[in-house]
Amino acid sequence: MMDVVVDGLRKRYGATVALDGLSLEFPGGRLSGFLGPNGAGKTTTFRILLGLSRPDAGTARIGDMSIDHDLARIVKRVGAIVDEPGLLRPLTGRQNLVVAAHTLGFGHERIEALAEFVELSDDLDRPVSGYSKGMRQRLALAAALLGNPDVLLLDEPLDGLDPAGQHSFKERLRRLVDDERKTVVISSHNLSDVQALADHVVVIAQGTLRYQGPLPDLLGGAREMRVTVDRPTEAFEVLRAAGLETRLDDSVLCVNAEDGSVVSRTLAEAGIYPSALVPANQSLEQVFLELTSG
Amino acid sequence: MTHLIRAELVKLLRRKAYFLMVAILAVLVAMTAFFTVVFPRVAPEAAEGLTPIPKPDAYILGAQQVISQTWFPLILAAMMLGSEMASSFWATSLTREARRLRHVGARLLVLSGASWLAIAAAIAGFAAVVAVGAIGEGGLPASDWLKIFGSSLVVQIAWVSLGLALVGLLRAVGPAIGAALAFSFGESLLGLWRPYANVSLTANSTALLGTIEGGLFSQMLPSSGIPPERAVIVVALWTLFGVALAWWALAYREP
Repeated sequence: MMDVVVDGLRKRYGATVALDGLSLEFPGGRLSGFLGPNGAGKTTTFRILLGLSRPDAGTARIGDMSIDHDLARIVKRVGAIVDEPGLLRPLTGRQNLVVAAHTLGFGHERIEALAEFVELSDDLDRPVSGYSKGMRQRLALAAALLGNPDVLLLDEPLDGLDPAGQHSFKERLRRLVDDERKTVVISSHNLSDVQALADHVVVIAQGTLRYQGPLPDLLGGAREMRVTVDRPTEAFEVLRAAGLETRLDDSVLCVNAEDGSVVSRTLAEAGIYPSALVPANQSLEQVFLELTSG
Repeated sequence: MTHLIRAELVKLLRRKAYFLMVAILAVLVAMTAFFTVVFPRVAPEAAEGLTPIPKPDAYILGAQQVISQTWFPLILAAMMLGSEMASSFWATSLTREARRLRHVGARLLVLSGASWLAIAAAIAGFAAVVAVGAIGEGGLPASDWLKIFGSSLVVQIAWVSLGLALVGLLRAVGPAIGAALAFSFGESLLGLWRPYANVSLTANSTALLGTIEGGLFSQMLPSSGIPPERAVIVVALWTLFGVALAWWALAYREP
């Protein structure tokens, strides 16, 4: 299992700072979600890991291989989709895979099995120009897997896929991690996809790290209690006066508090008794917005 | 690098555009052969002023006419690599084989070879028309044919490398093909201007095969008067410039 480690990467395009001393780690044998708003530096990070861009400072390694000294070895162990699927549309699916296999320096023996894995066996001899977006993404995944890589770096792989296409694509990614212990990193804007799929999450914004760790820790790290009372406006004032960050969502109070007992005690002292006090189930989207704002 | 050459061959042979370009080249060369060799002979009144070139000089004139079709290697390179740039295929290829010089080398070899095959076939076709339709007697010795086909290979390498460099600089297929066409025709026209002809790639490419005296068609080639020894040096310098520019644009710059 190969981990991916980035250390102090800096990259500037003219006046724009793409990466500002970014350090992060994607653990080996896990499926990691790589999140960040547009321009956060996700694609630049992938491009540096694959040798497509040179960092101004910092380094990165995949397993024990450094991008500075072992790039030729690294690309043989890493499958990638960056920017676009990178297919030649006039060629058929099979011809694209043959070209990819030659470029990698491998034979054609895995083509049939991979076509079956991505469910493209029946369409392999059709020109790619006639493929749907989902089929092109699956063909690109098959091409990325041709060298039987230990690590997959996939830039927005679910972008533009219909729900059925997303489901089958995610299922395949999950199998690659669960059955073959590959290290898979997907960047995505679709936070619910990452929430449903990833074991580990890395969030970056403005070229710097904002969070990295297991997904449950990230979601559990932000605590909000949802409180239902019969006098919400009065309860709102009481909680605010007690120094608790509170907002009113319709008639439900949302209180930022580590412990629900603090909320119930404060309200009880004012003669208000909650009919319900439950921890809010924060979505990744809420946490993401908090982490990447400002 | 053999695996990259195999990949290039698969891509080239599956592209209909290459064969379409070969067909266009064949039509253009057939028309040129008809008007330079057959027309002045079968309709001398209509072809007033067009002096027919006799054998064996007609063979050399034919080779010069074909070699001056510089649009072919330029557009072949611009089209093949340009479509890869447009579809992110170039960047994707680099994520499968990181050694960029090998990518550039494989493309230069395969595209120069493909261009040379088409040009060599066109030279052979022109020669067939000359053999059947030109006035005079006699042929060229084998050493001259070797020189013609060898020179045309060097010329294709020079033009293909310039085509690759254009794509590398412009990063798009449409602008690259437009620039290739403009460069090809502009360079040919400029080559008719004597001060520039001395350094023109088109003029020196045709001058590699010598100067044919007499006749309007030979005067239309921008090579007359340039010694072949000088032409070798100028073509070699253009080739070095093209390869260096292609390397800088493709291997050094970030994709």
